[in-house]
Amino acid sequence: MFSDALRESVDLSLFWDYREVMLSGLAFNFHVFAASATAAIALGLGAALLRVAQALPFRVLGTLHVETFRNAPDYIMLVWVHFVLPLLLGAALGTRIEFHPFASAVIALGLVYSGYYAETFRAGIQSIPRGHLEAGRACGMSERQILWRIVMPQVVRRMLPEGLNQLVSLFKATTIVSLITVPDLMYRVSMVTATEMKPLPLYTGAALLYFAVVFAAASLVRLASERWRRRILA
Amino acid sequence: MGNWERLVWNQREVLLEGFLVTLHVCALAFAAAILGGLALCLLRMHVRPLRPLATLLIEFFRATPIFVQLMWVNYVWPELFGWPNSFFTAGWVALALQSSGYLAETFRAGIEAVPRGQREAGEAVGMGPALVMARIVLPQVALTTAPAIVNQFTVIVKSSTLVSVITVQDLMFQSQKLVNVWYEPIEILTATAAIYIAFVFAVSACGKRLSDALRRRFGIGSG
Repeated sequence: MFSDALRESVDLSLFWDYREVMLSGLAFNFHVFAASATAAIALGLGAALLRVAQALPFRVLGTLHVETFRNAPDYIMLVWVHFVLPLLLGAALGTRIEFHPFASAVIALGLVYSGYYAETFRAGIQSIPRGHLEAGRACGMSERQILWRIVMPQVVRRMLPEGLNQLVSLFKATTIVSLITVPDLMYRVSMVTATEMKPLPLYTGAALLYFAVVFAAASLVRLASERWRRRILA
Repeated sequence: MGNWERLVWNQREVLLEGFLVTLHVCALAFAAAILGGLALCLLRMHVRPLRPLATLLIEFFRATPIFVQLMWVNYVWPELFGWPNSFFTAGWVALALQSSGYLAETFRAGIEAVPRGQREAGEAVGMGPALVMARIVLPQVALTTAPAIVNQFTVIVKSSTLVSVITVQDLMFQSQKLVNVWYEPIEILTATAAIYIAFVFAVSACGKRLSDALRRRFGIGSG
């Protein structure tokens, strides 16, 4: 009994039979990932700039954004964005709005991870010595020039290791989009399981495939950030 | 405001029941993750023949998405090992697996940060390896890793929403059930999101205070 089950789970030929379906599912994970990563980084930078702003209302708004989305579970945000946000927008605009599952997935993951990115950006921005800003001002640079020519290049270098780790986490989070019927790898696995009635090789195959992708990405990040650290601290 | 009263306040007992299940799942997962993480970490560092196995497990638990692990434990383990035999057990075990991988690495970093000389000093006064570990190393590890451990608990709480997918009746499950009964998602889902956000916020705020207080009380040096 045990050895049969073991052989069956190690025998991934059923997963291999469906390789095209599975890979096109994995492609959806990458699409969701790319779109929500772009949204998260852009929103995160915006929220971080609000948090370090001079005016109090901006700071409050930035803090509210960070504390809400950083503390929200991905899954509840996903469900909320998919089922509640269209109703609220529809009521505000006076029309009926529905989100495509893909759009909901990107918005939800983008919002949650923008909370994490905002903190990373803020830590990076606040680690820039005041003297650098004052030097920029003394040379007659405008605030915008100081931000893009002096602050951001250093921020990006400092936050790169953590920022890349967060990208890996974001990719892992994309596996839950199947729950609002985005046809990603997990969605394909559950569909195929429903017809084949053999969860063992299918879920094991999916777990190994995700593991391979994430492990490879995380190892690359580790390698890259060690090099970066050595170069920055040297 | 009528909707809020009808859909949220009047359903408070159901939501509270769900929240208690969430707490139960998270507490079991957290306790198991600390024990499992410590065991994996000690195996990796001190038991040579089992090191490759422990490393493989840690990397697998860390690099596999939680939802995938949950489905894997729920569907594959019962056939493979004949266990877990309930959705509830599958839920907390999956949450514990992932966190034990992260905590193993946290503990390892904490143990490696304890200066060698302290261990040698312990041995020099005649303490055995186990006693050195229990009296000298682990208390300091607990101090330095407290923030990361609290953070891992918040990760468990956030991930615990997924156990509703395998029909564990936690807060997320109860709230989606209410949505399906009333067909009015706005108030119920917003309230549920607010409860989770407030709870995670409170846990991290208390955790930060606690670890700061511990460090002030027991910390060595500038810390």
